[in-house]
Amino acid sequence: MTHTNHRIGEYLEEDYVILIMPSKDINHVGSGPKLRRYLEMALENGAIKIGDARLGNEYHQGSMQAVLDNLEDRAVVQAVFKDRETLVKALKAYKAADLGQCVVVSGIFDHVVECCKEAGLERHTINQSMGRWGNTDRLPPLEVLQLNTMCGHGMVAVGLINEVIEDIKAGKSTVDEGAERLFSPCMCGIFNPHRAALILKDLTS
Amino acid sequence: MQIDQELCTGCGQCVPYCPVNAIRLEDDISEIDFDECAECGNCLRMADCPVDAIYQQELTWPRTVRSILSDPLTIAEESGISGRGTEEMKTNECTGRFKLGAVGIGIEVGRCVTGARFYDVEKVAMAVAKLGVTFEKVNPTTSLMSDPATGKFKDDVLNEKVLSAILEFAIKPEQMPDLFDALKKVSGEIDAVFSLDVATRIAPDGSVPTDPYIQASGLWLAPNGKTNVGLGKPRYQEV
Repeated sequence: MTHTNHRIGEYLEEDYVILIMPSKDINHVGSGPKLRRYLEMALENGAIKIGDARLGNEYHQGSMQAVLDNLEDRAVVQAVFKDRETLVKALKAYKAADLGQCVVVSGIFDHVVECCKEAGLERHTINQSMGRWGNTDRLPPLEVLQLNTMCGHGMVAVGLINEVIEDIKAGKSTVDEGAERLFSPCMCGIFNPHRAALILKDLTS
Repeated sequence: MQIDQELCTGCGQCVPYCPVNAIRLEDDISEIDFDECAECGNCLRMADCPVDAIYQQELTWPRTVRSILSDPLTIAEESGISGRGTEEMKTNECTGRFKLGAVGIGIEVGRCVTGARFYDVEKVAMAVAKLGVTFEKVNPTTSLMSDPATGKFKDDVLNEKVLSAILEFAIKPEQMPDLFDALKKVSGEIDAVFSLDVATRIAPDGSVPTDPYIQASGLWLAPNGKTNVGLGKPRYQEV
């Protein structure tokens, strides 16, 4: 239900994800080539990452090209954007192409409303996060959570985040290398390494 | 998941990749706590074990539940898609699943970080079942219930540990206060964390029908979330 829905912390204004998928028994037959075209348009308009929740990210499949080449009908694909300008460009391209797959944008609602207006789109349905409940004393601190919550499936482990922070502090890697390392376990490719690098820079400077 | 103790050289590369801290170095050998492992596959995919000591043992019932609800690349039979959830609001313009006047609820037990045993998932499910909800049928978590009317799960899955299990159902907006009360109460009765999602069809005037109920509750609401921009075709024809 949630995937990209519980991102918290800093630099959310530089963090947008587009998800594209068909609906089973409605428009999934022949969706593979269309999903590929959506991802190609995302890259043409400034997406910094793409991914396929069915077969894995560029590291798991070998390359971004493999992500495109291996797409199947019924895949759920994603593209990550670091600013509103590129997001609007992609949405305009999607509207013009009119390929008929379902498109969901994750990001700050007020910003997404403006982006939809610029692209000539109207919001249909929204999914809001009402946060974390239960035994929240078990949660790590916010500085870790803001990185962990960028992978909705929980693949970016707290231990890995701490190791990356320590490696940067020790001069063993740069913030960009650390951000890319944190992206790699996120099989859907929705982790935003641009935002992660900004956060890691703050945490290690 | 398991680590071949004869092959492991104790380099520790796999340890930080485990989302539930189930891998530990004991006497310079990596070992997976089999009861704590959620079978997410992250260590096998990511640790790049130099001696290929990590291996996937045969998964049999009820341990198969762990993989379905933890490994993002496992495709659930019920939903037909990878991941733990369903199409939910992502395809709402085509399915009409959440119509005006309905509120889609997602309660993801175990997310984030803590993971969850089904003992806790059941407590949350039984708390909300008292509101008379109908759990989403194509959700893999629902299929593990022995009695969806009460939220009771099959006894043999109760000790299974997963990264998260999602309870999905729809309610009317006016039921939201009762839902919040039920969730506040059960929050103090479980060891896991859960996240709460509220999905809503945007009204024709552009307003969000759930906003008054959330504002009246005084509960925290994120400034960010998901927006379906209505490009899917064919469109569900609303009456």
